[in-house]
Amino acid sequence: MASIAIERVSKSYGATHVLKEFSLDVADGEFIVLVGPSGCGKSTMLKILAGLEAASSGVVRIGERDVTDLAPGDRDIAMVFQNYALYPHLTVAQNMGFGLKMRGAPREEIARRVAAAAQSLGVEHLLDRRPRALSGGQRQRVALGRAIVREPQAFLMDEPLSNLDAKLRVHMRAEIGALHQRLRVTTIYVTHDQTEAMTMANRIVIMKDGEIQQIADPTTMFAQPANLFVAGFIGSPGMNFAPLARDAQGRAALFGAALPDVPQGERALVAGLRPEHIRPGEGAATFTVSPTLVEGLGSEQYVYFDAPDETPRAGASESRRMVARLIDAPPVRVGEPVRLSFDPARVHLFDAASGAAIAR
Amino acid sequence: MRQRPLPRLALYLSAVATCAILVFPIYWLVVTALSQPDQLRQLPPSFWPSQPNWGVFGRVLGERPIGLWLINSTLAALGAVAISMAVSILAGYALSRFRVKGGQSLGLFILTAKMLPATLLVIPLFGIFRATGLIGSLWSIILAHATLIVPFTTWMLKGYFDTIPQELEQAAMVDGCSPLGALFRVILPVSTPGLAATALYGFVLSWSDYAYARTFLTNAQGNWTANLGITTMKGEYVSNWADISAASILVALPVLAIYLFLERYLVGGLTAGSDK
Ligand SMILES: Nc1ncnc2c1ncn2[C@@H]1O[C@H](COP(=O)(O)OP(=O)(O)O)[C@@H](O)[C@H]1O
Ligand SMILES: [Mg+2]
Repeated sequence: MASIAIERVSKSYGATHVLKEFSLDVADGEFIVLVGPSGCGKSTMLKILAGLEAASSGVVRIGERDVTDLAPGDRDIAMVFQNYALYPHLTVAQNMGFGLKMRGAPREEIARRVAAAAQSLGVEHLLDRRPRALSGGQRQRVALGRAIVREPQAFLMDEPLSNLDAKLRVHMRAEIGALHQRLRVTTIYVTHDQTEAMTMANRIVIMKDGEIQQIADPTTMFAQPANLFVAGFIGSPGMNFAPLARDAQGRAALFGAALPDVPQGERALVAGLRPEHIRPGEGAATFTVSPTLVEGLGSEQYVYFDAPDETPRAGASESRRMVARLIDAPPVRVGEPVRLSFDPARVHLFDAASGAAIAR
Repeated sequence: MRQRPLPRLALYLSAVATCAILVFPIYWLVVTALSQPDQLRQLPPSFWPSQPNWGVFGRVLGERPIGLWLINSTLAALGAVAISMAVSILAGYALSRFRVKGGQSLGLFILTAKMLPATLLVIPLFGIFRATGLIGSLWSIILAHATLIVPFTTWMLKGYFDTIPQELEQAAMVDGCSPLGALFRVILPVSTPGLAATALYGFVLSWSDYAYARTFLTNAQGNWTANLGITTMKGEYVSNWADISAASILVALPVLAIYLFLERYLVGGLTAGSDK
């Protein structure tokens, strides 16, 4: 087990800059999730950590050791791939023991450690099978087993759950969490799914176009997003945005309700309101809308509506669509006007030009 | 939805016709081998000799050193395939995996080498082999066949390696393999069907050569390959077509046997299960 330090790592393929000055310190035993839309450079960062890609510049340290120029096999890390990458010509036991065998571990020790790992993952009855004869969930477990048998300094996981069906994904998510609780091995986990990031991470690193947008624990990430991108990405559904209207005196208002503590001035601002912070019925700031779509999930309702008319629009094409997530509310029907409310103190503010969050 | 009968009938008819066209020469070869010489020119031709002469095979084997020719052909093919596979496994893997400057043009260059007719290379190769004293030696056609085979097998193997997920050797490298170790311990074992198909293809290319053997080996009777040997059976004035046909059948059998033996590897499917 070890800490990991990534110092100003950049990566370019010709003229395309895939990673820009990526820096991150990971504490020993921490579970870090790299999250971001597809193509933002998450896998590239993980491969640089593993030594499968060379960084264009920058330094990678694992446990105080500069590993920037070391081969993957010399870094003492284990990796779990999205497609599992099990060796098809080897049995499950041989797959799990392969790394130990490469390191010259004695046969009895390999057998003992493979058996222990297989038992902890519930695959001991599959040890003689080949990957072809396993279900998706079983392959996933074997891939995890291959990683833990080695007892490496760190686990690197690249979207390990995306090939599983929804139910199994939730199950394995919890299982990987429990595995980390038990082994306390430093883990860097890559996903494009913000739910996985929020549920599994000690800290989330959110990326866009090869740049880190914010590094924070899930609670902070949700409560204090650093910019528009983070606010829209984190949460399910993401935050609603509307350009902020100002009256003649320069006072800001959202849906007709005055917002306190908004910086004076001409600067264009965007207001952000989380779907779960919109309540049914009267409240501190109340407005009436006509829902265009209602999704009932039994326990909650997603109510889609167009922002009230007084909200200015940046351009004709700007979407005014918003969503409220109502819990324990009376049934809402499409086309029937409904009263909704929010607490002006929960409105987030962002600079319209830079997208950066503005403290209130 | 039910298929309409007419297109279906057309499909079957064309399949039968194709098979007939492909099989007919083989069938006629057998008929010729089993017929008496005077039966061959009769009109209308008979589609099966009235008294099939099965003894022709034994006689041909006794009169001509067909066994030796087959051994020579086999040695040449095995040598050429061994050299070609060693070269094209590494070259095909490099072309499939490494993005190096000029790699693409290099690959295309190899591809164009494939389009050169063998006869174009005969003269320069003859010069080289004479200078190195290889004329008349089996090594001449082993090397010449390798130049013929390598472009094909390199591209076949590149295509096969392209279908193997890169994560497989990445996993192997994280597990402690060197890049070459990953190739030999993981990629090649997984590629058995592709390797078998490629090797067989190379074997057939070498086996079916006539031009190189004729040019380099004519004066070395002990090193004649099967194809070269059979053509010497065609006399200037009389040709015993039954004997030639019987010898041709005997020469075709080994390739058929290898194909049957390798068939289960050729069908493949070993990589299924590594991903998803
Ligand atoms: N070998 C490569 N050559 C050129 N571009 C690449 C290469 N590998 C990845 N990229 C580009 O780098 C970007 C980031 O890729 P990746 O790290 O796989 O993204 P993610 O895992 O976040 O989806 C993508 O735009 C991708 O097209
Ligand atoms: Mg990726």
